Amino acid sequence: MKLRTLLTIGLMCAATVYADAPRGTVPRATAESYPAHTIANGVSIGAVLLTGDQARKAFASDVDRCCVVVEVALYPEKNSAVKVSLNDFVLRVTGTDVATKPSTAEVLAAKLQKQSSQSSSSGGHDVVLYPTAGVGYESGGYDPVTGQRRPGGVVTSGGVGVGIGGSQPQGPASTDRDRRTMELELSEKALPEGNASTPVSGYLYFALPSRKDKKTTRQLEYTLNGEKVVLQLP
Amino acid sequence: MKSRAILTCLALFLGSVGFAQTTPPSELQPAAGPQLQSETKTAADAQKDSDKKDDSDHSRKIHFRLGTVSLAGGYLSGPFFYGPSWPYGFYPYSFAYSPFLFSPFYSPFYPGYLPNLAYGADKGEVRLKAPKNAEVFVDGAYAGTADHLKNMWLDSGAYDLSVSATGRSPFHQRIYVLSGKSLKIDARLGPQKEKSQTEEKP
Repeated sequence: MKLRTLLTIGLMCAATVYADAPRGTVPRATAESYPAHTIANGVSIGAVLLTGDQARKAFASDVDRCCVVVEVALYPEKNSAVKVSLNDFVLRVTGTDVATKPSTAEVLAAKLQKQSSQSSSSGGHDVVLYPTAGVGYESGGYDPVTGQRRPGGVVTSGGVGVGIGGSQPQGPASTDRDRRTMELELSEKALPEGNASTPVSGYLYFALPSRKDKKTTRQLEYTLNGEKVVLQLP
Repeated sequence: MKSRAILTCLALFLGSVGFAQTTPPSELQPAAGPQLQSETKTAADAQKDSDKKDDSDHSRKIHFRLGTVSLAGGYLSGPFFYGPSWPYGFYPYSFAYSPFLFSPFYSPFYPGYLPNLAYGADKGEVRLKAPKNAEVFVDGAYAGTADHLKNMWLDSGAYDLSVSATGRSPFHQRIYVLSGKSLKIDARLGPQKEKSQTEEKP
């Protein structure tokens, strides 16, 4: 009985914490405010593809290094709800079979953490240099060996200590704690899943290679109640 | 002689810095993703994939890093037991027997006791730009005034940052701090909303 009570309290606390966490982004006034927009089954949809700079400004995580970010907003009709599911979205390179579904925050955070640790000095050999330099002035004195007076003057010395191996410095955003933070950020800013009766918006992350050719365009495909909607992303 | 000494030190310092910066830029470019995938990978799978890459890419690389740089000065007027190597040129052990006040091997500033030049390697920096007398709150707790918190070093994590000043509308933002990274926050406090109050009045 005690265990049951404790479990119930624990679940309630977890639910409260989950409910308190912010989800998604603030939707713009209308779907028309987004560069790509359409209406399907009474739901207005707006989308915008984030450029690398925009992604860097919007996220502390280097999300632009691993995927393409699209902000999506859904505006259900009054007194109706729309079921939002990430599985309903696909990003396709226009005119090709190259397509992908949104990645989860978990996977992306793991990828980003790994990339960060690779870009730092993981693997290989680490050589640390410790240079030292000294400048002194001696006014003169007697050499205890020869007994002769030594002239004064400026004395300099220098050296370099070389350390090989040992503990390597951790690169930025490469610890497990960073991974959890990135996961939290990506999940909090992602498009919230579930039933929505009010406008919702958030980011979708697609693990597609970054656009090398500017002429290459992408389209966001959204399936709502069996009807497929295509949004051309500029 | 003096200028020669200074030049030697300077050259040594710059040389070591230049040497340290020859660290090869590692693979910052992300690997090209697979052509078509339905996202069924778990975090563990992603970890495994990148582990394989690790083994092949980073096995024989040498990375140079600059540790602590020590500079010292001293003055001696009396006789001494073992003088420095001058006028015999550079003598690598001169520090160990140096009569100077500073000896890097016996001082608390010995490079071995200092980790490296980076400050708070396991923390992230928050650069806050806000009005001087504005009060800063982190996760609801008072942290101080903005003029003393231009640079904050925080543990990796998510924080609720609030900045408020009298007569101004407060600024709230959820921030995500990552270790070794710098986050710039420009807290622009808007003017107090007086219009709405006056509009409500009959």
